[in-house]
Amino acid sequence: MLNSSAVRKLSLMASKPQRFSHVAETVGAAAKKPRTMTTNASGSDQNPMKNAFSKYATYLNDLNDKRERVVKASRDITMNSKKVIFQVHRISKHNKVEVLQKAENDLAAVMDQYISRLVKELGGTDFWKLRRAYSPGVQEYVEAATLCSFCKTGTLLNLDEINASLRTLSNQSDEPLQINVLDYLLGLADLTGELMRLAIGRISDGELEFAQKICRFVREIYRELTLTAPKMDDTSDMKSKMDTMLQSVMKIENACFSVHVRGSEYIPFLGSEDTGFSMLGVPEME
Amino acid sequence: MKSALRSAICATHAYSLRSLNPIRHRHSLLLLPRYDAVFPAKPSPFTSMASAGGGGIGSDAPLSPTVHVLEKQFEDFRHQLDGSGTLRERIRSAAFEIESATRLMHSSLLLIHQSRPIPEVLEKAKGQISVLRDLFSKLAEILCECPGQYYRYHGDWRGETQSVVSLLAFMHWLETESLLLHAEAEEKLGLNPSEFGLDIEDYLTGICFMSNDLPRYVVNQVTAGDYDCPRKVLKFLTDLHAAFRMLNLRNDFLRKKFDGMKYDLRKVEEVYYDVKIRGLATNGNSKGEQGDGESS
Repeated sequence: MLNSSAVRKLSLMASKPQRFSHVAETVGAAAKKPRTMTTNASGSDQNPMKNAFSKYATYLNDLNDKRERVVKASRDITMNSKKVIFQVHRISKHNKVEVLQKAENDLAAVMDQYISRLVKELGGTDFWKLRRAYSPGVQEYVEAATLCSFCKTGTLLNLDEINASLRTLSNQSDEPLQINVLDYLLGLADLTGELMRLAIGRISDGELEFAQKICRFVREIYRELTLTAPKMDDTSDMKSKMDTMLQSVMKIENACFSVHVRGSEYIPFLGSEDTGFSMLGVPEME
Repeated sequence: MKSALRSAICATHAYSLRSLNPIRHRHSLLLLPRYDAVFPAKPSPFTSMASAGGGGIGSDAPLSPTVHVLEKQFEDFRHQLDGSGTLRERIRSAAFEIESATRLMHSSLLLIHQSRPIPEVLEKAKGQISVLRDLFSKLAEILCECPGQYYRYHGDWRGETQSVVSLLAFMHWLETESLLLHAEAEEKLGLNPSEFGLDIEDYLTGICFMSNDLPRYVVNQVTAGDYDCPRKVLKFLTDLHAAFRMLNLRNDFLRKKFDGMKYDLRKVEEVYYDVKIRGLATNGNSKGEQGDGESS
């Protein structure tokens, strides 16, 4: 098939000798290309269209390979960031420091091992072209990092702070990966889901105050995001996340509400057996 | 623990106390001791209720300084996003202008189907090329303001660019009977690949669009008595199809367009067959009338 069409092309070229000089030029350029797929290696030297397409094929192959590697790196970031998030959920009243310490170490490992690989694969270019390929991983990392930071300090980890730590990572490549605003905001939107789980867990563990702190924080983020989300590049993604987020906020609020209401009803009962009951309750939980 | 969790989640679905009542007993065991621990000093149930309402999750709690940091960051984000929003508006309006210039070019090129002489049609259509060059340099200028973000806004002009490529490639084929290469397309549009190049996938998609126009051209040329046209187009399209098959495409839009190319090829083959089997291809115009009726 290839051969017959090549022959036909030769005859076409022969009838148009004035184009040969141009052909020779492109042939020379293409022949120097070190990497070509086997499908276009032989017999194409005479044809400008084939030569050009072998260049396009190389371009597409390289791009697809790169994209594939970036997707893999992103998937690893996602997986390991999820582990960090689960580690944070293992928190309880008494092991806070150790659990968060481990989570932070794991998070640092994600940065050192997996994000650095992503940075290497991206090679300082194509941040926007391949954004779809790495965006899920970056979002998950933002989620894990902000969750850790909130549990430790009670504040929101800023994008600038994350990006500053990324800058230290990639001294080998010319342009360091910087997480863009969109991925950061998408990550924050997911954070509220995790905070909801955390809050519910804290309430059932009796840490009402912590739950209320979470509630205030999540409300604040939701409020800010309602103003910010419509300005984002691709709003459809964010819109559904905003809906989920409102659900999360309401879940926390309702959980706080129900504890609050029930709590007030049982105060007299508790008052009578104050210490005894809480002593009884604590070991039962752990 | 488990039941408490479940009931806390249950509570989120039902506001009323009535639905909470059946599970209240379990809570009394699990949750309330801790409630007591959180609010240890409660003079009476009534005041405790009030104080819990005020100091608990109420929005009237004073905003901490960290909230201001948070607000500041989002303020910055909104500012940034506003900036990129206006940039996008400008890109879109440039793309819109490109589209209308392309439409003019397209409409003048459509006369080719009414068997006007090729040079005349090309003359008119080429008039738009300089307009397009200006528009693309305008677009390139806008994108120079945000270096490295070509692909952030790419979606806003790629469709327009693909149409431009398809028309240019068609015109180029009419003129030279060869394919407009990527570098030639860039040159025609006055693009500088180092700052604002033509994306190769866009170029290839544009070429697929051009292939879609060829069957109609062939049919109309034959009807007008040009019996050599199917042979030329078939040769070109066969080569083009063979060249495209060298590419490893992803399952994306380009792949879809390429898959459609074989139908163009088949259509042209059919026309070529119709013409050839009646001996029209060699005999020239003498049997033109007969061919009209038969060829699809």
